[in-house]
Amino acid sequence: MTGKAAALGREPGLGGLAIGAVLSVLVLVWVGSDGYRQTLVTAAATYALVALGMYVPYLMAGSLSMAYGAYAGIGGYAVGLLSTKTSLPLVLAWLLGPAAAALVAVLLGLVTRRLSGFFLAAVTLLFGMAFTAFLVDAESVSGGSGGLGNLRELNILGWTPSHYQVVVGSVVVVCVIAFLLDRARLSAWGVIVRTMRDAPRAVEASGVRVPVMNLVALALGAAIAAIGGGLFTYSAGSVTPDTFTLNIVFLAIFMPLIGGGGTPWGAVAGAAIAVELTLNFPAIETSGTLVLALGVLVILLIAPRGVIGYADQLRRRGWALSRRGRDG
Amino acid sequence: MTELQLWLSALEMGCFFGMLALAYYLVLVGAGFFNFAIGPYAMMGGLCTSWLVIEYDMGVWSAAAIAVGATVVLAALTELLVVRPVQRRSGGGELPALVAVAAVLFAIQQFAGYVFGHPTLPGQSLATFDPVTIGPATLQPSALLLVVVTAVAFVAIALWIRYTRTGRLLRAVGDSTHAAGLLGLPVNRVRLVAFLIAGVLAAVTGLLFAPKAGVNSLSGLSWSVSGFLAVVVGGTGSVWAPLVGGLLLGAVEVFVPYYFGGQSHVYGLLLVALLFFAFRPQGLFVRMVRA
Repeated sequence: MTGKAAALGREPGLGGLAIGAVLSVLVLVWVGSDGYRQTLVTAAATYALVALGMYVPYLMAGSLSMAYGAYAGIGGYAVGLLSTKTSLPLVLAWLLGPAAAALVAVLLGLVTRRLSGFFLAAVTLLFGMAFTAFLVDAESVSGGSGGLGNLRELNILGWTPSHYQVVVGSVVVVCVIAFLLDRARLSAWGVIVRTMRDAPRAVEASGVRVPVMNLVALALGAAIAAIGGGLFTYSAGSVTPDTFTLNIVFLAIFMPLIGGGGTPWGAVAGAAIAVELTLNFPAIETSGTLVLALGVLVILLIAPRGVIGYADQLRRRGWALSRRGRDG
Repeated sequence: MTELQLWLSALEMGCFFGMLALAYYLVLVGAGFFNFAIGPYAMMGGLCTSWLVIEYDMGVWSAAAIAVGATVVLAALTELLVVRPVQRRSGGGELPALVAVAAVLFAIQQFAGYVFGHPTLPGQSLATFDPVTIGPATLQPSALLLVVVTAVAFVAIALWIRYTRTGRLLRAVGDSTHAAGLLGLPVNRVRLVAFLIAGVLAAVTGLLFAPKAGVNSLSGLSWSVSGFLAVVVGGTGSVWAPLVGGLLLGAVEVFVPYYFGGQSHVYGLLLVALLFFAFRPQGLFVRMVRA
């Protein structure tokens, strides 16, 4: 679809951005001053950022790393530490956190550079568990299992955003990152990374260093997840070792599948659906996650391109029908 | 805590990991992939038994039988409804199968949490005799049972793979699925058998191990990781390799926290994993193939 759009002379990625922006505005209008809905949207934005972070190495480069709970945690603890232990401007946390997460991702990527598939998934999972254990153990730094609370409010040159403004800000960040990733996907770099997934030898043979590109993808993904972790921590006002659990990692693997792996917006759509099912589904409250898990299995089996892929297919069929109607 | 007591504890953990690893090994040989749902199968075996006994006052043996049966059904469904269609569609790519099995793992966890509840339930012991005293140490009946069952299971599987028709078929399929298919061997049936036996092994292991620390719906994930590591450490060169890997890992799991305290066993496991992946990714035992 996007390829055709580019051929028509339109800027690639703008279509997705337009739809995403319109839906975001609708969601923000629906939220209004309702505190519960604000929490829901914040959670959705966090999920979306973690899922977008995973999108780069996983759906583009084809390596499934499960350390994303740790990366989001690093972002969250950056906000917590900067807020409680220093008097630096809090905005810096969104620079330092993602940078630290990217660094950790590169180090972990170097150690595991020979691994792929099941082996990579298992080691990164173990790393996530070890990181949680470390947060509990390192009480003097991380506050132990109690975590860090009583965080400062953001103060940007004397302006303190209200809770609603933070929600709007998170949604804007999600849209911008999804748009940028969509553009990156279609850029020369994105083409290389995606080819690397399917034919690493061909890419290596044409002079691109696959391991380096893989590290770049991992670092980028970790940084994006850390931004999400920071946002969530700031909105919640505290962070503990249990804030970013393995549950989030699993949900983040499934979100792009639910939404559709063809575009980063699929991850955003998947995050919205996941939050709706797990947090805002009063009829079967306790089993929302079960419905989600079974839904993922069904989608994997019958609609491998996800909700957006399915909608796109319907749209194309509609086009074809209407065109036939005009011609006949 | 005497040295001997620690070694017995390590033996128990090792047998537990070794049994999980054996279940991994069978599916790996038969279907060529790591079934990460092994841990949740074991969780189902333990949790379902405890739940039936506690909620419905059922006898331990009948509860255990039902739990094992339910787990075997889950294992069969995993293969028939999820893994086989996904692998057929993706044409042997590893990532789709990995994601599918992650979804299965997550779904079983959520299902167990929904049906059996989220709190940790105490494990039910099948053995009712008194603890056995060995010098200064004691061996709990459930631990003794686990060790005995592990020994029996490994011997039985080794004999089965070596001497029975289905066992030889399993090796043939494991060596080359393609060639086995060309020869007209029942590849799909053999795969299913591998899944079923893995399900039985995992469920029995889970319910035998549950008395040690209880079991809850989220236990499965870390069990999956431990069993997988035992396979990685042991290698896939022989049926006994998973047991060796499991025993080594059991020693790490018991002795590292004893000397370094706290949650250091998680770091220990990560370190073992990284060391093996860096220096001996093929594991301790490798099969020599005559070319």
